[in-house]
Amino acid sequence: MRQPAIESSDDRPVKTRWVPHGITWFILRRVLLGIATLFIISLIVFGATQALPGDAARAILGREATPQKLAAVRKQLNLNRPVTDQYREWLGGIVTGDFGRSLANQLPVSSFLGNRIVNSGFLVLLSAVISIPLSLLIGSLGALWRDRPFDTVTSIINLALAALPEFVIGVGLILLFATSVFQFLPAVSLISPDTPVWEELEFIVLPALTLILAVTPYISRIMRGSMIEVLESDYVEMARLKGLRERLVISRHALPNGIIPAIQVTALQLAYLAGGVVVIEFVFTFPGIGQALVDAVAKRDLPIIQSLSMLIAGVYVVLNLLADVATILISPRLRTSLR
Amino acid sequence: MPDHNDLFSKVLLEEQLRSNRITRKELLRRAFAGAVIIGTSGVLGACGGDGSNDPEGQSQGGAQKQKRGGTLRLGTAGGSSSDTVDAHTPVTHPDQARVVQLNDSLARYDEKFEFELSLAEEFAAEKADVWTIRLLEGLEFHNGKTVTADDVIFSLQRIIDPDVPAFGAGGLTSLDPNGMKKLDERTVRLTLKQPDVTIREELAQYFNGIVPVDYNPKKPVGVGPFMFESFTPGQESRFVRNPNYWREGEPYADEIVIIDFPEASARVNALLGGQVDAIDDVPFGQVPVIEGNANLNILEAPSGGWLPFTMRIDAAPFDDVRVRQAMRLLVNRQQMVDQALAGHGTVANDLYSPFDSCYASDLPQREQDIDQAKSLLRQAGQSDLTVELQTADVAAGLLEAAQVIAEQAKAAGVTINVKKLDSGTFYGDNYLKWTFAQDFWGSRPYFQQVAAGSLPDSAYNETHWPPDNTYLNLIAEAKRTVDENKRCELLHQAQELEYNEGGHIIWGFFNHVDAHSAKVTGLVPDRGTLPLNQYGFSHVSFVE
Repeated sequence: MRQPAIESSDDRPVKTRWVPHGITWFILRRVLLGIATLFIISLIVFGATQALPGDAARAILGREATPQKLAAVRKQLNLNRPVTDQYREWLGGIVTGDFGRSLANQLPVSSFLGNRIVNSGFLVLLSAVISIPLSLLIGSLGALWRDRPFDTVTSIINLALAALPEFVIGVGLILLFATSVFQFLPAVSLISPDTPVWEELEFIVLPALTLILAVTPYISRIMRGSMIEVLESDYVEMARLKGLRERLVISRHALPNGIIPAIQVTALQLAYLAGGVVVIEFVFTFPGIGQALVDAVAKRDLPIIQSLSMLIAGVYVVLNLLADVATILISPRLRTSLR
Repeated sequence: MPDHNDLFSKVLLEEQLRSNRITRKELLRRAFAGAVIIGTSGVLGACGGDGSNDPEGQSQGGAQKQKRGGTLRLGTAGGSSSDTVDAHTPVTHPDQARVVQLNDSLARYDEKFEFELSLAEEFAAEKADVWTIRLLEGLEFHNGKTVTADDVIFSLQRIIDPDVPAFGAGGLTSLDPNGMKKLDERTVRLTLKQPDVTIREELAQYFNGIVPVDYNPKKPVGVGPFMFESFTPGQESRFVRNPNYWREGEPYADEIVIIDFPEASARVNALLGGQVDAIDDVPFGQVPVIEGNANLNILEAPSGGWLPFTMRIDAAPFDDVRVRQAMRLLVNRQQMVDQALAGHGTVANDLYSPFDSCYASDLPQREQDIDQAKSLLRQAGQSDLTVELQTADVAAGLLEAAQVIAEQAKAAGVTINVKKLDSGTFYGDNYLKWTFAQDFWGSRPYFQQVAAGSLPDSAYNETHWPPDNTYLNLIAEAKRTVDENKRCELLHQAQELEYNEGGHIIWGFFNHVDAHSAKVTGLVPDRGTLPLNQYGFSHVSFVE
């Protein structure tokens, strides 16, 4: 149904002058909206944490939570102040770049999370760098060779993988490569806290593979679907009728349009990776933010929960923004409609 | 079970002989430690029992030779961002494992749960309220500082600090912060607030270790076999060999790495894949997987640990003693052990501390008796009793036990509604006030268990025992009684009260089920509170 941008092509020079301004304004507006979103999320997360039964002192003491010890720990952690004060203090800290200290271990949030953010970031990035081109390729080829053996086989594999929860994939990979069948990859990712994660790549293979297998089916299915739609569209047919070579038809007309829905899905999948990495990290005992977040919720460790939810929400906001910008830049019609 | 202890000793020795895990030096050391106990103490003199190591143990044909050096990697259950290396406040398994590597106490429990002196060469009572502690000569902290009487006094005061009480504080209420006197560099005299014959046992706990006066829990220094190297909460901690360790020839390994494994199957996977050398708390379902692997060994040890149901004796319906008795009678204990612990445990008799020298082993084993239970409930006017059982997934076997008792209770017409709470709620405002709940405890001597959970001022008295002063008077008198036989007589009466009227349903004692690589040698089954041979790795090594 997509109309090629034929009618606007005559006043194109004028429009291109407007594009940077339009985009800049668009980005600025979205960044401000993003900050507002983050603020609202911080309120919700803070409220939700307060609604959980018990507090950090109880969670840390667990079974040892006798009234005397509770009082001592609460005093130590400054938990006796009103919750509004605690929130205001946290917000004030964020603005000045101070994320506070973990309630559970008294370490500054930045030094406790720093390593873990790097670990998770690297894991997500590596998975993305591999899975995005791979799934776009599989999707496009599937569309081009529709109903031929390649398409049938990849479709079946994709559907099967999409139906499996990622922890099942993870456990399956562990059984296959680390414990029961073969034993050449580590079953758990015991990354030393002092070594950068890229120096211990053997620990990242299985978690990354799990994430790739979890994400690739969605993106390639979308890519396949949208490419099929584009390949059947009028303008592709028109290009073919004009006598353009098939390679040009695909690279110049089909791909740029077919990729647009895939970009949106990719952004969503990446954002999902940032949050969904939690489960994978649990399966592999991977020292990342996912594990830290689960732990922080159990310990009612407010500064850590807030920082991590801000980080993950921030990733969502930024990825969505990037996807929208990319969509706008790729599709002429949207590009020109921005003023 | 009068033969329980003997049987255990035999099994233990057999196990040690079979694997030749016990070295000649270790045997001599233990024998020596035993001699010290008998020599210096009239109080605990008779405790040795027949558990002394058979000299046969020295004949070691084809012994597994212990190799020096190497890094032992230990996978421990649990751990989180609130991990600690503080000597006096361990909470989780990794915390406990760290404390044991870094610190030693004045005394300790051996693998048969028998008391032996450790850093103290003498720990004896002049009267039941005046105790003298003399340290071994030439003890050094990791930083080279000599261990002195000042360090002992500092450590004890740090444990009972009223502002930040450590875990040991609850059992040390008789300790008077002003009653600690340094007699010379190695000798301290404790003058207690009241007579207390249990003070030595309390100070033998692993969480009551001796630390230096300038102790900094961020860079902990102790007297233990391994020295602090690094610590990342929720992840791993590293310790290096203490070259000046006071136990001759120990430790064997150069380094110990303790790794957190909140997820049980990840822990097993790490062992299967050779990423760690030993793990604690093998999930019962995974035991066959490890048994089927020739490179791995299961280390199973009966312990005095228990998973009781707790009935509040001052709240309806359990304020009627007949209801409590009926509840205890409707439990099929063997079935409970078989199902909740997958058979990895032994049947119990509603009494705790089975390894205590005063354990009332002559009381008849309580069996399931549905008719009697029904009749008691009828007398109490509770024929169609319905109760809520509050529980949480905080220890292996708890939820399973809850399901089993709910099923068994049906036969007596009792409906038990199991409410599974998240741990935050379970340990929330109603903690220690639930009418019917569950708990978990490790091996403890009787007095320590009573102090922790059966007195009005106990920190964890869930059953709100005792109903009147009879029990309290017995305990108080026993605590003053230096003569072992007389004391046991008093404690027997106390246990009889709990056996007849108590609020605990104690259906079984769980086994420690741990596992290690066949390349690791020296670990022995241990009755104590902590798994994996009490995490004591100083005598553990790789095989030659």
